[in-house]
Amino acid sequence: MKELDLLKKDWQKSDNSFVQVSETEIYKMIHEKSSSIVKWILIFSVLEVLLWTFLGLFSNVNDYLKEINHLELILYFDIFNYLNYVVIIVFIYLFYKNYVLISTTTSTKKLMQDILKTRMTVQYYVWYNLGMVVVSCIIAFTIAFVYNPELETIKEKIASNNIAMLITIGLLLLIFILFIGLFWLFYRLVYGILLRRLLTNYKELKKIDL
Amino acid sequence: MSDNLEHSFVKQLRENQNIIHKICRLYTNDDDAHKDLFQEITIQLWKAFPKFRGDSKFSTWAYRVALNTAITLYRKTKRSINTVEFEGRQHFLNDVEYDYEEEEQLKLMYQAVYQLNDIEKALIFMYLEDKDYHEISETLGISEVNARVKMNRIKGKLKKILNPLGI
Repeated sequence: MKELDLLKKDWQKSDNSFVQVSETEIYKMIHEKSSSIVKWILIFSVLEVLLWTFLGLFSNVNDYLKEINHLELILYFDIFNYLNYVVIIVFIYLFYKNYVLISTTTSTKKLMQDILKTRMTVQYYVWYNLGMVVVSCIIAFTIAFVYNPELETIKEKIASNNIAMLITIGLLLLIFILFIGLFWLFYRLVYGILLRRLLTNYKELKKIDL
Repeated sequence: MSDNLEHSFVKQLRENQNIIHKICRLYTNDDDAHKDLFQEITIQLWKAFPKFRGDSKFSTWAYRVALNTAITLYRKTKRSINTVEFEGRQHFLNDVEYDYEEEEQLKLMYQAVYQLNDIEKALIFMYLEDKDYHEISETLGISEVNARVKMNRIKGKLKKILNPLGI
């Protein structure tokens, strides 16, 4: 292909056509941060934890539990919370490990494996968080209905009326689904985009190995 | 990491920077994107540098890391086929029967190469750098046979882009 030969000749002449970067500029560059997808996954996960913790500062679960006279629940609630944090910290550590692995790997095969691993970790992370939302919802409803004395009279009224019961259950389910849907949307937005990009990269890499 | 390591890296990178510039030329379409990718590759090279043990030449190692970065880690925006490219092709189609000048031919060739996908660009890049199939296969982590087959396919694709009607 003669056009290709022509291109090759021109290509090899092009060495002098680039504006050369100085050593000082290179120093500056390597001290700046990378913008890779995996790094953003790590950053988002940390930000997310900070966001939930921050929002948690304003919650008055403990006051509420005191109000309804079930102090023992505070302990359970705290244990639940701490366990959750431990799991999330483990996830952040895994994200960090993936990030280090992916940014330093030089072999294409290894890179593909690392990408798959990162995707899996993120997927597990999202499922864990969604699962946690479901569990929290169930706990919140249970506490509200079983332990709150203020709801006693309402409960009796509802129990005596079949239609009211159905409507209440329906409304609760609706709120439940809406709540989970919101979270699902949140994760889809934040991590879904990143995951899709990783998948595109993976597919491109796979093509090389047909 | 020690200052010594950093100094040795910066020096070698400065000496071999044209490798990166050329990769940027293939994978980006404007100055800003060129600078962005250059920086991203520099960062990835620096991160991978502790693993570079000097059992290959710095340049050989840099090819591998830089191409991996261009293909996989760096993808901020989907490259769109710009109008310049299109006009170039139109022009070519009209002039197909005439002998055009080398300059024009080169321009079209660059535009055609630019339309290849990321993996194909990597192969073409190695080819333009005059690397043999052994080195291509090692850098991209594919077999020599595979590299040959792919290169032939790319040539076919380039021909098709240059001459879609097969005249």
